[in-house]
Amino acid sequence: MTYTLQYGQITGYVPYLVGGAWISLQIAFLAFCGGMVIGLFGAMARTFGSSTIARLVRWYVVFITNTPQLVQIYLIFFALPDLGIVFSPYQAVLIGMTINAGAYLTEIQRAGFLSVHRSELEAAETLGMSRMQSVRYVILPHIIRVLFPPLSNQYIMMTLGTSMAAIFGVEELTGRAFNVNATTFRSIEIFSLTALIYVAITFLATVALALAGRFLVRARMRVL
Amino acid sequence: MQTDGAYVIASFFSYYNIVFLLDALVATLLLSLFGCVIGAIAGFMLAISRRSTSLPFLPLRIAAGLFVETFRRVPFLVTLMLIFFIFQFVRLDVSLFIVALASVCLIATAYITEIIRSGLESVHRNQWDAAIAMNLSAAQTLAYVIIPQAWKVVLPPVFSFFILFIKDTALASQIGVVELTYAGKVLNDKGFPASLVFGTILVLYFVLSYPLTRLGAWMEATLAPSRSR
Repeated sequence: MTYTLQYGQITGYVPYLVGGAWISLQIAFLAFCGGMVIGLFGAMARTFGSSTIARLVRWYVVFITNTPQLVQIYLIFFALPDLGIVFSPYQAVLIGMTINAGAYLTEIQRAGFLSVHRSELEAAETLGMSRMQSVRYVILPHIIRVLFPPLSNQYIMMTLGTSMAAIFGVEELTGRAFNVNATTFRSIEIFSLTALIYVAITFLATVALALAGRFLVRARMRVL
Repeated sequence: MQTDGAYVIASFFSYYNIVFLLDALVATLLLSLFGCVIGAIAGFMLAISRRSTSLPFLPLRIAAGLFVETFRRVPFLVTLMLIFFIFQFVRLDVSLFIVALASVCLIATAYITEIIRSGLESVHRNQWDAAIAMNLSAAQTLAYVIIPQAWKVVLPPVFSFFILFIKDTALASQIGVVELTYAGKVLNDKGFPASLVFGTILVLYFVLSYPLTRLGAWMEATLAPSRSR
């Protein structure tokens, strides 16, 4: 019944785990950037596209957001090889996360597009702004201010989401935790340490994003 | 291996496989439902304790804050592993479903606390002040003034968190809980083609989640509090 925590045995693995955290951050960043591109086109298609394209994008969003990311990656990783398309675990996870993030980011960016009022555009026109000027000085500053908080929130969620890469054998933070667990059997210590590293990296990211949001785009964000 | 597609599909949708998948579907639903109901109750208490201002409650308030901020920043998979091994080391002999449920409850409590807290904050300060002026106790203030106004703000996001969590419980397959994703893995291991198996699993999740999403959207539209104050 009694269990003595022995962190001594795993302190040597801390650099190894922190290296894994760096890979987690990379996956999250790449998938987020890819998702932003998909989301931008998706949001534009839903707002300005023809009804057929808008409907297609809507179904993409509805289907992806109503099914688990893990099973989507399973499909990419295990089903596509039947068609002769083979991805490495890292690629499969990255593609799956990008497609998944694309759906959520489409919705978020669409909300940003919708938040621009017609009257704002009319005011810009009245002031004699060209189309480009109204985009540069009216639409973009507005959209960025509205979108920054939900986007940074999504980014944090995605950082946590990268942990499922471990299931496919990618050696990011959780994957490396599994490795260390398999060698040392100090399960509670290793997973609590891993949890602590996740808390640290997402906390740093939150603070950095909130500061950036406050001072760069003047979004209304709580730093703590 | 060259097998007839129609035969594979027919044998995949055999009676026993369908029952197996439906059982798994129910397990997935129950896991997130129980987790969110327990999480909502615990989250409500934590949210209240995070709002309390009196000195005796200070340690509780700090503990609640730490709990929330920690468990919102740990991936579900890591929490699951941690709880799994803790249960193992304290020799608590319970089913894997309970282990997964315990981790779902922890995570749900952390997230729902934040939702409820922002719901309580959405009630205007004047209402709290008015309640003090009326000489209502803290419990009375909550019961007669705050909750009647806040529940409409809280319910839609809690419900969408519940739907979000239906998908996150897919990770519980990693410790061997027989829910939808695990059922998919089992059927895939039995030799059914991955595209068929995981395609079906995706459709089942969709069938579970989409009506609830529509219900949530409807709820949000009908409960939307009037902005006039």
